[in-house]
Amino acid sequence: MINLRDKGAAIWENQGRFGRIGIALGAMTVAAALPFMGGTILNTPIADYESVLVYPIAMFVLMAIGLNIVIGKSGLLDLGYVAFFAIGAYTMGLLGTRTGLNTWEILPIGIAMAMFSGIILGVPALKLRGDYLAIITLGFGEIVRIVALNLGTLGRSEGIINIPTPPGIFGIEYRFDSHRIYYWTLLMLILLAIWMVRRLSVRRAGRAWESIRQDEDAAELLGVPTFKYKVWAFVLGASVGGAAGVFYASKTLFIAPDNFTLQISILILACVVFGGMGNIWGVILGAVILGYLPDRIRFISDARLLVFGLVLVIMMNLRPDGLLPRKKREKVLPNKEKP
Amino acid sequence: MSTSILSLKSVTMRFGGVTALNDVTFDVKEKEILGLIGPNGAGKTTVFNVITGVYHITSGSIDLQGKSISGMKRYKITKGGIARTFQNIRLWGDMTALENVMTATDTHKRSGLVGGLFGSPVSRREEKRDKKRAQELLDFIGIGEYADRLARNLPYGVQRRLEIARALGTEPKLILLDEPAAGFNPAEKVELAKVIRKIRDAGYTILLIEHDMSLVMKVSDRVVVLDFGQKIADNTPQKVQDDPRVIEAYLGVPEDAS
Repeated sequence: MINLRDKGAAIWENQGRFGRIGIALGAMTVAAALPFMGGTILNTPIADYESVLVYPIAMFVLMAIGLNIVIGKSGLLDLGYVAFFAIGAYTMGLLGTRTGLNTWEILPIGIAMAMFSGIILGVPALKLRGDYLAIITLGFGEIVRIVALNLGTLGRSEGIINIPTPPGIFGIEYRFDSHRIYYWTLLMLILLAIWMVRRLSVRRAGRAWESIRQDEDAAELLGVPTFKYKVWAFVLGASVGGAAGVFYASKTLFIAPDNFTLQISILILACVVFGGMGNIWGVILGAVILGYLPDRIRFISDARLLVFGLVLVIMMNLRPDGLLPRKKREKVLPNKEKP
Repeated sequence: MSTSILSLKSVTMRFGGVTALNDVTFDVKEKEILGLIGPNGAGKTTVFNVITGVYHITSGSIDLQGKSISGMKRYKITKGGIARTFQNIRLWGDMTALENVMTATDTHKRSGLVGGLFGSPVSRREEKRDKKRAQELLDFIGIGEYADRLARNLPYGVQRRLEIARALGTEPKLILLDEPAAGFNPAEKVELAKVIRKIRDAGYTILLIEHDMSLVMKVSDRVVVLDFGQKIADNTPQKVQDDPRVIEAYLGVPEDAS
């Protein structure tokens, strides 16, 4: 099977500075132009194409990037990622309907709330490893949903309605049906998240996470403050999930506990694994495909989820490391080659 | 050969009913190569594990330059100046050789995650300095040409040496080598002996576990012998070899001897 990842990496590495900027700008242009492709083969039957681009696709991409910090980079299996998404969304719902704050003001609060809950969950849970961590996070995801289901302030099963849309900035109006605007705003958030992850990956934090993922005991014995970096991974992952949640609530105008089920956690996890754990481009590709596919094949209605599952099973058999796996190849300079 | 850098005083380590170390006392003196030998199951690796904080000792005390380190967090002990290699190689296989060493040099960085995210001057300076330092260490151990290779793809002998370079990356005062020559052929062992001496000459103190007697006797300044968790000898290599208790531990006594 052709190795897409290495081909892409080779092209990237052979480019000069301008070539790279060109590729990056080109990719951004294509991504930004997607809402105009509604009339083409990309169009989704039944569901509105532009709204599919916002949710699930862009939202999944953002969350998958966040979850990738936790699972792909640091190797911590988090099965309750939806909790942070929910916390962001409910922060928006609550503050948006009860105070005069607007979406842009609530965004940092939502992110902070998600990060804070990341600490609350992370500090006790990250003392455990592997399966035990997975079970705790799974429980946390459910706890958040059940709390929302039972707390009167959060509207119980009716949820929160009439959540305001973001006020316009730079002369751009956010109407609830102007999907393109939301999509482009999410694109900005995604770029910001990519920047953050890439920045961190090449420095100390990236190495610390990588060493923890591969051999946590060895890492600790070679001076890596593993617990601190695990909590950081959790908190940063949570911050991205929280941002997605705030924006989600502000887009759909209505949230209920049913929007934050375990299924979301599993789907985002599937995006990360399917795309290629630890490789941000793979994760993005995985999220785009898994977000898009169910709506694209909606015409087969009942068999839809069956086909979706089948595609997953077949793909994971063909490419167990995901579509674009993490770095395996190495640069060897020709003059360093041993005879 | 003067002040002691690490001292174990009556260290006892029990796992349930099993006493792995029983009242073990010895010092590691500055800039010496101290060999730690003993038959299988004598407790050598347990000594490493209690020193590095993997196990918390049942009783006794372990002092690093006069300060107690028993009960300290593992990464803090490393930061305090003790680094180790592993008997079974435990490199981070998906990282390059250089990154393996750089992860260790991060131990003494002042800048952390936030500095790295926003590219603070401190972070940038430290990154540059450590990259250089890591390459220097690889060159020092003699594997500089492998810097950009993934650790998992390196030849066995290079992996063993990379473990040493990685441990040196934490800027230790004392380095613990756990069977660094395991699986080496005689030529590689000679090479390794040179490297070990070179490390000592660079100012590090070495505590060495090794099964290859000729190697231990050749490089060590002093040898401590353990048997069934107890220290049975602590002397120069020559005297240890002639010690009847050591010979007994390794070879046993004929039944009709007494």
